[in-house]
Amino acid sequence: MPLKISRISATLLATTIAGQVLAQESVTVVLSEELENVEPCMAAKSNIGRVILQNVSETLTELVPGAGLQPRLATSWEDMGGGTWRFTLRDGVTFSDGTALDAADIVFSLERNKSDKFVCETGAKYYGGFELTTDIVDDLTIDITSDPAQPILPLLMSTLAVLPSESNPDAFVDQPVGTGPYTFDEYARGQYIKLSARDDYWGDAPTVQDATYVFRSESAVRAAMVEAGEADIAPNIALQDATNPETDYSYPNSETVYMRIDNSTAPLDDVRVRQALNYAVDREAFIGTILADGTLQATGMTPPSTIGYNHDLSPYPYDLDKSKELLAAAAADGVPVDAEITLIGRLENFANVTETMEALTSMWQEAGLNIKLQMVETAEWNEYYSKPFVTDGRPIMVEAMHDNANGDPVFSMFNKYGSEGVQSGVADPKLDEMIATATAATGDERQGLWEETFAYVFNDIVADVFLWHMVGFTRVNERLDFEPSIKTNSELQLSQIEFK
Amino acid sequence: MKSFLGKRAIASAISLIGLIILVFFLSRLTGDPTNLYLPVDASQESRDRFREIHGLNDPLIVQFFHYMSDLVQFDFGMSIRRAEPALDAVLRAFVWTLQLAIITMTLVTGSAIVLGSLAAYHVGGFFDRIATFCSLIGASAPDFWIAIVAIVVFSVHLGWVPTSGTGTVLHWILPIGVLFIRPFGLIVQVVRGSMITALSSAYVKTARAKGVRNRPIIFVHALRNAMLPVITVIGDQAASLLNGAVVVETIFGFPGVGKLMIDSILQRDFAVVMAAIFVTAVAIFVMNILIDILYAVLDPRIRY
Amino acid sequence: MALSEQTFVADAPPAWVSILRMLWRDKFAFCAAVFLLVVILCALFGPTLLEDIATKQNLRGRNAAPFDFSLHWTMWLGGDALGRPLFARIIVAARNTMFIATGAVICSMAIGTTLGLIAGYSSRMASQIIMRLADVIMSFPSLLLAVIVLYMLAPSVGNLIVVLAITRIPVYLRTSRAEVLEVRERMFVQAAQVMGASTNRIVFRHILPVVFPTLVTIATLDFAFVMLAESSLSFLGIGIQPPEITWGLMVSQGRPYLTTAWWLSFWPGLAIILTTLSLNLLSNWMRTALDPVQRWRLETPRQKNA
Repeated sequence: MPLKISRISATLLATTIAGQVLAQESVTVVLSEELENVEPCMAAKSNIGRVILQNVSETLTELVPGAGLQPRLATSWEDMGGGTWRFTLRDGVTFSDGTALDAADIVFSLERNKSDKFVCETGAKYYGGFELTTDIVDDLTIDITSDPAQPILPLLMSTLAVLPSESNPDAFVDQPVGTGPYTFDEYARGQYIKLSARDDYWGDAPTVQDATYVFRSESAVRAAMVEAGEADIAPNIALQDATNPETDYSYPNSETVYMRIDNSTAPLDDVRVRQALNYAVDREAFIGTILADGTLQATGMTPPSTIGYNHDLSPYPYDLDKSKELLAAAAADGVPVDAEITLIGRLENFANVTETMEALTSMWQEAGLNIKLQMVETAEWNEYYSKPFVTDGRPIMVEAMHDNANGDPVFSMFNKYGSEGVQSGVADPKLDEMIATATAATGDERQGLWEETFAYVFNDIVADVFLWHMVGFTRVNERLDFEPSIKTNSELQLSQIEFK
Repeated sequence: MKSFLGKRAIASAISLIGLIILVFFLSRLTGDPTNLYLPVDASQESRDRFREIHGLNDPLIVQFFHYMSDLVQFDFGMSIRRAEPALDAVLRAFVWTLQLAIITMTLVTGSAIVLGSLAAYHVGGFFDRIATFCSLIGASAPDFWIAIVAIVVFSVHLGWVPTSGTGTVLHWILPIGVLFIRPFGLIVQVVRGSMITALSSAYVKTARAKGVRNRPIIFVHALRNAMLPVITVIGDQAASLLNGAVVVETIFGFPGVGKLMIDSILQRDFAVVMAAIFVTAVAIFVMNILIDILYAVLDPRIRY
Repeated sequence: MALSEQTFVADAPPAWVSILRMLWRDKFAFCAAVFLLVVILCALFGPTLLEDIATKQNLRGRNAAPFDFSLHWTMWLGGDALGRPLFARIIVAARNTMFIATGAVICSMAIGTTLGLIAGYSSRMASQIIMRLADVIMSFPSLLLAVIVLYMLAPSVGNLIVVLAITRIPVYLRTSRAEVLEVRERMFVQAAQVMGASTNRIVFRHILPVVFPTLVTIATLDFAFVMLAESSLSFLGIGIQPPEITWGLMVSQGRPYLTTAWWLSFWPGLAIILTTLSLNLLSNWMRTALDPVQRWRLETPRQKNA
């Protein structure tokens, strides 16, 4: 027995390192989930992006909320016509391993992003449906050509993390090297990630000298850690934990919640039924109760800050009588409005999702619709949400939350509303045409075309039930001078943090 | 004893292989992981490439033979999600879990046996009532209650211990405290019940009648007799800790094997699921062998 | 056998009177019995009487605090995240909760004990097979089992019971087998063997009564475990789904609100604790009332009569 005890205490001591004390110039960020890997080409996943993007790895361009597309590693870019864009790289940029940034690194990063040895999130999410070819003009100039032409190629470049061409082309890296203001020091799996400031960064030296990331999945614990002074920033705390207006910031998080309706099965193939679904929801009642104050009622798939968002559309008002009238009219024409409609909800999709779905179900039941709620885990939900849909001939609505923080509807519209779109519940040739034209257009014309497309989806075909543009909460320690923004969902730039 | 161990090792190895086969095929019934790994907008081309890279296009039986031939060389494959060898991920987490389980169960065993025996000594007495009440409430209260209330009280308000995480000895206090409660409540009850029977049994009475007035001796004799069900239940509770203490791991950010296993099941990261089950199964099998040996040590009449 | 039991009942004062008398003597057990009776009544009649009130939403009365006696009595324990009365919901949830917990605990106990008795009292081969099977079940994660069942079969309450029962089998199996190993060496069992009693008779009349109290102790605490575990499987979409409710589901739905609206998970949690406590107090009383050692002695003369 004494032997056993001494062995146990030895184990205890072995795991003892100095307690975490919040030092000046160091910050601790508590994230809601562990990073499954730290590969820069997976940074389109928000949990990975928040650590890596613009801290360790940088991009050619950067989308700044309120200021539009800004230079980062590229100082300028110009449209050469024929789908070709010329990017001029910043001079004097080095990677944290000491090598200089040149055009070959961009080529390597683009190719690696579409590697056939592994599937990159960024590549799969943003770089599908067109081919990119590159042409190195000189060390600091590169031509990128896309086929078919992409008017938003510079915007796309804000998603591509640049790696040095010395990186492993065949496997994920576990010690990412980038041009950013911080070096990636250590990842103790399950415990923490540490970054520290570089002294040879090309830009302004950041105030924060080192950062530790830890992982807690319970929102109440993340909030408690900031309160107890163990952490400085807790992104993504739940509405009910955001109780202190001094430290808890709310901000639009670029997520839109909607009901995807399969427009091809009765009774959902009738536009009056879809209108009735829209009129029967008291969107307002959720805001400030189950959902946070500041949540906006939605009329489209992307957040209002997106180019081409139609600000003239107003949400469907809550009108139970109108809803019942529409259903009665549809029933009179022989539409089977009393058929059981399955409502698929995704478990753990956002805070309070189950309550939200229960409340929606009862609102629709109030209108006389026969709705049956089924909450499923992500793997099963995918089968309903993406084509080929599981239908068994049943009318089905799928609850989904869509994230578009990239400022352009092109990242949403084709997949959600094109006839060939992976999650599209509609097949409308006119809409296909509108999406294609808007995708190819530029400037003000592009904006106008997208606005028309939004209006058509909302007013004419009433494709889906748009619900809300969501807000997120981040708790920030009072010693920091930092305000979260719409980008905090996908990246968290340590260099923007100052101390009070 | 030697022949017992030999036979037992063979039988355990066979059931381990059975377990691996069972888990391999059953877990594959839970769907294709492709959609879980790729963004919802990914093209068919990316999906096909993903399946090709991870060998998901092969017939199941071919995948199985690939898996088994790797396994013979102790290669459990790569985790799709974590991009590292599955066994590395599992062993790293299991070391934490094992420490947690050993410390917790040692504390539980010691304290529950003492408290349960004392309660049994005066059945229906004041001490017995209090011990029974507390242990039952502990054993049936939701563990996350205790965990979150403990964080709010001891970390946020009192500031005695860190809220969560790892690093110092202090970090272990809350997770162990929370994990301690349920097995403790259960085992106190089992010890108490078992001791009541043992203390009223014929031979203890005989001993008393013969004039053995020494309480400790009576106690030790009765305890020895009462231990069989106690050890079994301790084993059962230890096994559930070895399988991972999910609530504690989730709330305290403790890097154990339970959350790893759950995430891997939900993400269909089969290599990790298999490795995790393999490692925990070995631990549980070994523990059960030790328990069976302990039966024979405690009660020499038991033969296998 | 049936005959001897009848004689016993005829000789004594009516059995239920003497049981009630014994129950009255132990006040804790008496309260426990009353509480369980209330729970059973809730389970039987609650859903019929209160279903409508329990599902009526009121988003503006979300998380209403408890003990506001100016409200309808169903709101005295507060409102849940959708403003539904917690008290009514707890009463309605009693049916599903008791059904699942009783089903799972009784199934696992019956199957586990039977297999354990067989393993302890039959050939080494059979014993080895059963015990290694138990090892396999013990190391098979219940969540994986749940996901598999979910994918192969439709989600239903029955499947939920199956999943929960399977995961709890090993503890009963191992406990009963360990006890058998010891008990079968005891004097009275060997005596019965010598006297030519059949194996069945030895196992069920002599060994089971000795093993049983421990199993009941485990079972009563398993009740709480199963009620809580059930809710941890609900998040997979297996078993009980909203708007259906169980206490376990209510507890886990209240989890995000624990620091801001404690009553959401506290009351259903209290219901689980009180049920477990009552079951345990009652089983402890039963153990005292029907001590197996005593009963064995009481039974011997009756066997002569038979």
